Amino acid sequence: MIENTIICVSWGDKYDREYVKKLKEQCEAHCSVPFNFYCITDKPKLGSKHDITMPLYWDKHFLSEKNFFWAYRKYYAFSIDKSRSHKVKFSTKNLSRDCLDRIQGERFLLLDLDVMIHQDLKYFFELPMDKPWIVKGWWNDMDNCRKNYAKLKSTPLNSSVVRWDRGQLSKVWDEIYENIDMIMFTYPSADNYFVHRWYDLWNEKESFFNVFPAGDIYSYYKGNIFPQDMTKEVFRNDHKICLFNTSGHTEGESDDKLHKIYT
Amino acid sequence: MTNYIKYTPEVANDWKQTTANVKKDYPHLFRRMLDCSTSSQLQCKLWMLKELQPFVETNMQYALLAGWYANYSVELLITEFDAKFVHNYEFDENAKDISYIFNKRHKDSEKYKCDVKDIMWDKLDEEQTYDVIINTSCEHMYPMSRFYTLNNFNNFPLYVLQSTDDEQWDDHINCVSGPKELAEQSQISDIRYSGTIKLDNGMNRFMVIGYPTGKKI
Repeated sequence: MIENTIICVSWGDKYDREYVKKLKEQCEAHCSVPFNFYCITDKPKLGSKHDITMPLYWDKHFLSEKNFFWAYRKYYAFSIDKSRSHKVKFSTKNLSRDCLDRIQGERFLLLDLDVMIHQDLKYFFELPMDKPWIVKGWWNDMDNCRKNYAKLKSTPLNSSVVRWDRGQLSKVWDEIYENIDMIMFTYPSADNYFVHRWYDLWNEKESFFNVFPAGDIYSYYKGNIFPQDMTKEVFRNDHKICLFNTSGHTEGESDDKLHKIYT
Repeated sequence: MTNYIKYTPEVANDWKQTTANVKKDYPHLFRRMLDCSTSSQLQCKLWMLKELQPFVETNMQYALLAGWYANYSVELLITEFDAKFVHNYEFDENAKDISYIFNKRHKDSEKYKCDVKDIMWDKLDEEQTYDVIINTSCEHMYPMSRFYTLNNFNNFPLYVLQSTDDEQWDDHINCVSGPKELAEQSQISDIRYSGTIKLDNGMNRFMVIGYPTGKKI
């Protein structure tokens, strides 16, 4: 059985099927170890081996007028858990978790559709896994992040790339599942929620997540490492992954520049 | 009625030291320190003091929820109401540090303490009892109903809640239309005070004092 699994999530019209195809092609070109590839999607193709039908159980909690926690569909992936006994299987919560049971593998790498892979993804599957990993935006001024902590903005974390082993993010999914109303009401973005609940801005070593080291992942629009390497809109091929994240592009908005690069 | 804060030599000393320390150790928070010291901030706290006065006695214990730097609240509660103890719960580590500089005199005399806690996720200190629970930041958080489910106080404290309808700020995630809505969403059914003032900065401020449903002797 192949243990390495790459997951992406696709919904709505912001990124069409072409992005999923391109991401898969990039993974094939830049991953020297065998891997499964899955796309959790609201538009699964009949007979597709890698399309996983997206669950809907959080949709009813989404507050469209606030548009907070808008990327919540991505975090269905965190429900991938260790197998459970039949005794506990028939609760709503466990049925929710079972939606993604078709996904195989033990080592997971979640990638956003708007990333560019420069180097071998094998690196991510060989990381020590005492804790799951998430992107720290090294391009942020951390003083600014601390200043804006209570204002629920300037988050230093970014969930465009997340690496975890099976069951390792169950705690996070459990908390989201149990508190979805409050979370969607309170946190403008999931990254903001992660900073408040699963990261310690003042003592990173105590955090639930490890953060990918500086020089692994950078932002095309925001830079690389604050303050010494903040050149925007350049590719850094010696890094592993480029993110096209911008705080200005939320659900429903598109990025013409990225579209040109990608398609 | 108290309509001023007593600027004693002890207060002057701590507040001068706060300015110096924040400038030196937390320069990125200097603007935030000024924001907590505005006339509008003082107006809110003096208003709270005035309306709360009929319901309190000396030697009471107070919890401040999301009390930020707690410069005005702590000073007023301790000097005007002769509070026995004020316990601030803040989720911002730096807010705790700065609140301790502002309130050094009260921290040293063990009348003031700040714990880093997100009150919408974690219970208050279960070893501690409170006569009055104050939240002057309701617009910044989920409705107080969640707080009641996390905490079950046997002594049924009085609640003082403030909020606003000023939606221009991103972090005002829970504005209300007036004190009636504030009471409703906070499930304050036994209302002892309800009112509105307009602050110097133009903001409408609402306050409700009372007991939540099922949380009264």
